[in-house]
Amino acid sequence: MKNPRIIGQSIPRLDAPDKATGRAIYTDDIKLPGMLYGKLLRSPLAHARIKRIDVAKARALPGVKDVIIGADTPQVKYGNWRLVPGSQDELPLAVDKVRFVGDEVAAVAALDPETAERACALIEVEYEELPAIFTVEEAIAEGAPLIHDESPGNVSLVRKIAYGDLDQMFAQAHYVREDTFKVHAVQHAYLEPCACVAQAEEGSRVTLWTSTQVPYIVQCLLASTLGLPENNVRVMKVAVGGGFGGKMELRPWEFCAAFLALRTGRPLKFTLTRSDELAFGRRRHPMSIYSKVAFSKEGKLLAKDFQVLLDGGAYNAMGPTATYLCGTFGNMLYNFPAYRYLGQHVYTNKPPASAMRGFGAPQAAFAAETQMNLAAQELGLDPIDLRLINAMQTGDEIPEVATISSCGFKESLTKVRQISGWDLKRKDKKPGRGLGIGCFSFISGGVFNWFNTKYNFSAAEVKVFEDGTAQLACMACDIGQGPDTVLRQILSAELGVSIEKIRLISMDTAATPKADLGTWGSRVTLMNGNAVIQAAGKIKDMLAPVLFSQFDLNQIHDLAFEDDKVFVRANPKRSMSLAECVYKALKGRRGEPLTARGYYTPRNKGLVSPAFSFGAQVAEVEVDADTGLTKVVKMYTAHDCGVPINKMSVEGQLEGAVQMGLGYTLMENLILDQQGRTLNTTFLDYKMPTAQDMPPGESVDVDTYEPEGPFGAKEAGEGLAIPTAPAIAHAVYEACGYRCKELPITPEKVLRALGKIK
Amino acid sequence: MAMPHFTVHQPKTLEQALDLLSRHRSGVKLLAGGTDLLMKMRQAGLKAEHLVSLNRVEGLRTISYRDEDGLVIGGAARLADVGRHPGVAQHYPALAHACSVMATPQIRNMGTVAGNLVNAAPSADTAAPLLAYGASLVAVERGGRRQIKLQDFFRGPGLSVLEPLEIVEAIRVPAPPARCGSAYERLSARSQVDIAAVGVAGLLNLDLEGRVLRCRLALGAVAPTPVRCLEAEQMLEGQAPDEALLMRAGASCVRSCQPIDDVRASAAFRRAMVQVLAQRVLKRCLALAQGGAS
Ligand SMILES: Cc1cc2nc3c(=O)[nH]c(=O)nc-3n(C[C@H](O)[C@H](O)[C@H](O)COP(=O)(O)OP(=O)(O)OC[C@H]3O[C@@H](n4cnc5c(N)ncnc54)[C@H](O)[C@@H]3O)c2cc1C
Repeated sequence: MKNPRIIGQSIPRLDAPDKATGRAIYTDDIKLPGMLYGKLLRSPLAHARIKRIDVAKARALPGVKDVIIGADTPQVKYGNWRLVPGSQDELPLAVDKVRFVGDEVAAVAALDPETAERACALIEVEYEELPAIFTVEEAIAEGAPLIHDESPGNVSLVRKIAYGDLDQMFAQAHYVREDTFKVHAVQHAYLEPCACVAQAEEGSRVTLWTSTQVPYIVQCLLASTLGLPENNVRVMKVAVGGGFGGKMELRPWEFCAAFLALRTGRPLKFTLTRSDELAFGRRRHPMSIYSKVAFSKEGKLLAKDFQVLLDGGAYNAMGPTATYLCGTFGNMLYNFPAYRYLGQHVYTNKPPASAMRGFGAPQAAFAAETQMNLAAQELGLDPIDLRLINAMQTGDEIPEVATISSCGFKESLTKVRQISGWDLKRKDKKPGRGLGIGCFSFISGGVFNWFNTKYNFSAAEVKVFEDGTAQLACMACDIGQGPDTVLRQILSAELGVSIEKIRLISMDTAATPKADLGTWGSRVTLMNGNAVIQAAGKIKDMLAPVLFSQFDLNQIHDLAFEDDKVFVRANPKRSMSLAECVYKALKGRRGEPLTARGYYTPRNKGLVSPAFSFGAQVAEVEVDADTGLTKVVKMYTAHDCGVPINKMSVEGQLEGAVQMGLGYTLMENLILDQQGRTLNTTFLDYKMPTAQDMPPGESVDVDTYEPEGPFGAKEAGEGLAIPTAPAIAHAVYEACGYRCKELPITPEKVLRALGKIK
Repeated sequence: MAMPHFTVHQPKTLEQALDLLSRHRSGVKLLAGGTDLLMKMRQAGLKAEHLVSLNRVEGLRTISYRDEDGLVIGGAARLADVGRHPGVAQHYPALAHACSVMATPQIRNMGTVAGNLVNAAPSADTAAPLLAYGASLVAVERGGRRQIKLQDFFRGPGLSVLEPLEIVEAIRVPAPPARCGSAYERLSARSQVDIAAVGVAGLLNLDLEGRVLRCRLALGAVAPTPVRCLEAEQMLEGQAPDEALLMRAGASCVRSCQPIDDVRASAAFRRAMVQVLAQRVLKRCLALAQGGAS
C-alpha cells in the first residue's frame, strides 16, 4: 500500500525547540495569584496503626492556612480498576493504617514551601507499629501479617491462563527444564518529578493542572474521591517531562491539592522532589518467576508452565494489569501447544509498584528469553535457530488472546543476525567478549476495559477553516513520546493539510472530545491515530460536494486531498485549494462550522490488543574478569513496528529504550533497608546510565503493514524496552561464564560467580 | 529540604577574605566551586549565613609548574584546569587522570582541588594521587602561614586538621625525580559518572640500576580517610621490581584498607578491587619509570 509522503518521514518534534530552549511551561512553572504551597506528611514506618494525630501545633504556625488528615476527607477508595471495585484499595490520606514508608498521612497548605515543611514536622502522629513484610515469599507464607484485611494471604489478585494438555506435553517431551528467576525494582526516573496546581471556582468546581499521562482517568477518580460530579472537575496538563507509566493514576497530592483548594478557596501547588520520587514513588514490579518448558527433539516448544509472584508493594496501583499482561507476555513470541500461567499479585510493605514501560513484559521476557538461551545451549542449537523454529508469524493465533495480523519476527531475527555479525563472531570468539540475544513482542494498546469507561477508547475532533488551516483537538497525552507531532502527521496525511497549518488542542478534559484513556500500553498512535483518520474522513465528506458541483463530476470520480489542495484524482487539473474549498463549503452550509469527530474502540480484537509489535536485539559485551565490570560494546536491533509514522521518533524510542534497558540490567536498583526505608534517594546512588554510558547502536526497521493501524503503524514505545536485559545477560554468559538469573548484573555477582570473591 | 538564605561575599584579596572570615566567625563558610558545600546546605542541613567566595581572589586560581619548585595549585584552581594543565599532564599523570575523569564535566568545571581535599570525603579523587606525590597544603590565617603535609591532613570522613578560619592558599607538590612513573586507577561499580568505589594511586622511582628507590601507594574510598599503603611501599623499596614482587606488593595493599559495605559496593568487593587496581597501577608505574610508553 502506498502511503502519503508525510508518513515515515523524520519530522523533528514540533515541541522540541521550546523544550530545548527552556521556553516550554511545565506544571511547576505555573504560579497563580494568591497561590499556596502544599506538603505531605508521610509515614516513617512500613506498617503501623495510626492511633492519634494532633495537628494543633502545625495549624498554629504562622503562614499555615490549612492542615488535613484522612478523617477530614470523604474517604472514598480509588484505583484504576473501576471494573473490579474490590481492587480499589487506596485512600488519598491514610485513615486507620499506614502500609509503607512514605504512605501519605497528612497535608499542609501554607504561604511558602518552607513553612509547609516546618508545619509537617509539627504534626504529631502516634503509631502502633505492626510487623512488616518485605518479600513476596514472606507475604504468602502461612500466618503472615495481613496488610489489607480484605486480601487473605496478602494476594490481591490471581490471574490464570491454561490451554492445551500440559501434563501430556511434559510427559512426551524430549527435553524439559525448570528455572527460577528474580527481578528487582527500578524506577521510571522521569526528568520531571510529579507536580500539580489546583484552583477552585464557584465553590464546587475545580481545575487541576497536573503532570500526568491520564487526564481523563484523573478527572474521573478525582471527582469520585471528592464526591463531586465528573463535570465539576477539569484536568489539564502542560508540558510533561516523561511518565513511562509512573504518572498513570490519581495520586494523593492531586487529591490534596484539589481538596485544599476547595477548602481554602485559594490555588495550591504540590511539587515532589527527586528524593520523594526515589523513596516513595511508583516503580517496576519485582517478581519471583518459576518457568518450566518442554521441547521436542527438533527444538519445537511443546509446553510452558509459568508462575509469577508480583511484588506489588502496599497497594494495587496498576499491578492487576501487570499481573494479567505478564501471563500474556509469557507466550506471545512463540507457539506453544500447551501453556499454563498462574500470576499472583502480592502485597508487601513497600512503596507500590505500578506500570512501567513494558508493563510486566521486561520481567517476563527476562525469564522467558534467558530460558530460551539456556535451552538452546542444552539442545545444541544456535539460540537464533531455536527461535526461528518457534517464532510467531502473521496469521498465527495466540490462544485466547488474538490472531496476529502482522508479524515481522522471523525477519527481525534474520536481520539482527546479519547486522550483528552473529555467526562469524560466535565462531571466532574473543576472550572476555560475548554476543547475546533477547526478543520481544508488545501490544499496541489494550483492549480489556479495566477502567470501565463509558466512552470510546479514543476520540478526536477536527475543524477546518477558510484560511486553509485546521485544528485538531484530542485528549491524547504527549508526555514526551511524540503524539503531538505524530497525530498531526496523520491528520496531514489524511486531509492533505500541511502539518504547520494544524493547531493542536490537547489535554483539557473540558474542551477536548470524550475521551481518551491516556498514554500507556503503547496505545496512542494506533488508537488516537485511527480516531483522527475517522474525523478527517468526515471532514472530507463535507468538502467533497463543493468539488462535485463546481466541476460537475460524475459519481464515479474520487477526490484526492494533498498539498493543501483538493482535486479529482483522475484529473488533477480539476483542483481547488483547501482554503477555497472550505470557504465554499462554509457558504453552502450557511455558516455552520466544519467540525467532525472520530472515535476508535477496538472491537472483535480479543481482550488484549488489536496489534502486536515484534523484534530481536543482540548485545555485544566485554566483561573484565578482574573487576567484574560489564561494558556494552554495541547494541543491534531489528524490529517490526509496522509502518513507522515518524522515523526519527522511532529512533528516539529505541535509544531511550536501550538506555533504560541498560540501567535495568546493570546499574539501577532501589535499595531498601530492614525497615523498608529506601537508601538510595538521589541520582548519586540511584544509578541511571548517562550519555557517557551509552553504547553505540545499529538498527533496522522490518517493514510490515498492520491492517488495524493508522497507515499500517503499530507500537514502537514499550516493546523496545524489553529485550535488552536478556540480551545483555546472555552476552555476559558468553563472555565470562556467569549466567544471570537474578537481575541486576553487578560486578560483585560476576566476581562471585567466577570464584574471585566470596 | 529548603535552602536557607545566605549572603555571598566576593573578596578580591586574600586579606579581605581573611577579614570577612574573622568578622563573621561563626555561621561563615568558604565557597570555592560550591559542588560539595551547596549540596550539604541543601540536603544535609549545614547552616551558613555568610559564604566567602574565593573565586575572585586575585591569583588564587593560578596553576604553575617549574622544575625547581614543582607544582603549585592555587586554592581556587578548578579541577578541569588542573587536569588539562600541560605541566600536570606531563609530570603528574596520576593527578591529571583523576582531575579529568572524576565527577562530570560540569562539576569539574566548577569544583576545585582545594575543595576536594578540604571536604575530606574518603573517596576524594585527588587525594590519593596527591598523597602519592607527597603534596602539602599552604594554609593562611590572620596570624600567619603554615604548611601541612597532606599525609597529616585528614582526620576522618569530612574532618581535617584545617582550622575554621584558615584558608588553603595553595597546594604544593614536589617535582618528580627522574626515572619516575605514576598512575591512578579508579573504579565505580556502575555508571561512568559516579563516585569512585575504590581509587588507587601509585608512584615508583627507580635508581640507576633499576631498583625501586621510592614507592608510594595510596588508596581512596576504602577507609575513613585516604590512606597510604606503607607495607607495600616497604616491600618494594630497595628491591628489583619483578612482576611477582609487584603482584605481591599489590596484594598486600588489601591490609591497608578498612572498607565498609554500603549502597555503592560491598567491603568484599572493595577489598578485591584494591588488589586488582594496585597491581595494575604498579605495573603501569613501572612501565613509565622504565621509560616505556603508555
Ligand atoms: C554530581 C557530583 C559528582 C561528584 N563526583 C565526584 C567524584 O567523582 N570524585 C570526587 O572526589 N568528588 C566528587 N564530587 C564532589 C565535589 O565535586 C568535589 O569534592 C570538588 O572537588 C569540591 O570542590 P569545590 O570547589 O566545589 O568545593 P566547595 O563545595 O566549594 O567546598 C568544599 C569545602 O571545602 C571548603 N573550601 C573550599 N576551598 C577552600 C580553600 N581554598 N580553603 C579552605 N577551605 C576551602 C569549603 O568551605 C567547603 O567546606 C561530586 C560532586 C557532585 C555534586
